[in-house]
Amino acid sequence: MSQQNKNATKKKVQPAPFLVQMGIYASILFVANVISSLAPASFPVPAPVIGMVLLYSLLSLHILKVEWVDSFGAILINLIGFLFVPSGISLAANLDIMKAEGIQIVTVIIISTIILLLVTAYTTRFFIWLKKKSPVHAHSKKAVQPKSVPVRALTHAKGEN
Amino acid sequence: MQMLTTPFFGIFLSLIVYLIGQWLFKKTHGLFFFQPLFVAMVLGITLLVVLAKFLEQDVANLYNTAYRPGGDIIFWFLNPATIAFAVPLYKRNDIVKKYWAEILSGLLFGTVISLFAIVGVSKMIGLNRIGIASMLPQASTTAIALPISKAIGGNAAITAMACILNAVIIYALGGWLVRKFRLNNDPIGEGLGLGTAGHTVGSAFALKLGSVQGSMAAIAVVIIGAVVDLVVPIFAHLVL
Repeated sequence: MSQQNKNATKKKVQPAPFLVQMGIYASILFVANVISSLAPASFPVPAPVIGMVLLYSLLSLHILKVEWVDSFGAILINLIGFLFVPSGISLAANLDIMKAEGIQIVTVIIISTIILLLVTAYTTRFFIWLKKKSPVHAHSKKAVQPKSVPVRALTHAKGEN
Repeated sequence: MQMLTTPFFGIFLSLIVYLIGQWLFKKTHGLFFFQPLFVAMVLGITLLVVLAKFLEQDVANLYNTAYRPGGDIIFWFLNPATIAFAVPLYKRNDIVKKYWAEILSGLLFGTVISLFAIVGVSKMIGLNRIGIASMLPQASTTAIALPISKAIGGNAAITAMACILNAVIIYALGGWLVRKFRLNNDPIGEGLGLGTAGHTVGSAFALKLGSVQGSMAAIAVVIIGAVVDLVVPIFAHLVL
């Protein structure tokens, strides 16, 4: 009974077998790595980033179906917190920097992270606000200057300074 | 010592510290200080330091000989995991098609404004020129940031630290920051910000908030890489 149910739901979107999905990821990584090694030293493009663009293009061009890469990718993305643990622990190799000027550096890094998050978020919000504003009410509402969003963006950017 | 130099040790240590982190996180009902990745990092480094004292070894040396063989195996899987973000991005192609100009300009101008702010903060806190140069490429993933940092006269180790801590900070404090600054009013900007500030880990965090946020964070990781490649060397040349 449950078997039949499973089959019924699987009929709609048939995920590719696990090994096939892994094969697709491995092929893309391999090709991406070849492309990455051809990039000039002054313009580094890492293999995983090229791989993401490749996979996105293959999906957009309908060469790959999303169900061929979806479930394996979801598992990897759910694991990212754990996959990043070795990077975190790698700071053990740089403890001497921490001893010398660690507090200053860590403070700047924390503030920089918040700057990047807020400035990017509010700058984008500003451009989306511009787009929404411009086509329809361009002339009638021009007198009402940026009120909520851009002012906020500025104060936050300054607040971090 | 010999049994520590096989990959088994690094994999074992990574899993144990992360699981302890998950357990603490659950026990404290999601207190940000006990975010699993943060706990795993602090606990793992502490254990290596203690072990190094015990074995009368240098910590960096112990890290390289004992932890890295296993750590590198886990680390490798970040490659396919990064690629996997193409799937959530593709699923929200509607947003990409509708807002591509806003996404590009938001990321480009956002980065330039952030760079000025980061230089200002670094000068105020008193970093030297090498320190400031090391802070500039941190918006991109490590693989891009390190060579750029070296090229503009920074210290690659400090840049690596920045890129790693970015991710840890976003994972730990992201929820609080998003609430505090009401970023969820605009999921596109929210996602782009999380991807820029937190890289791949930030993208995983953004995906938990919603499909738009996740896809925007993924596109941010790609485009910020190119922006840092192009803008940071010019910026460093003009400003530093």
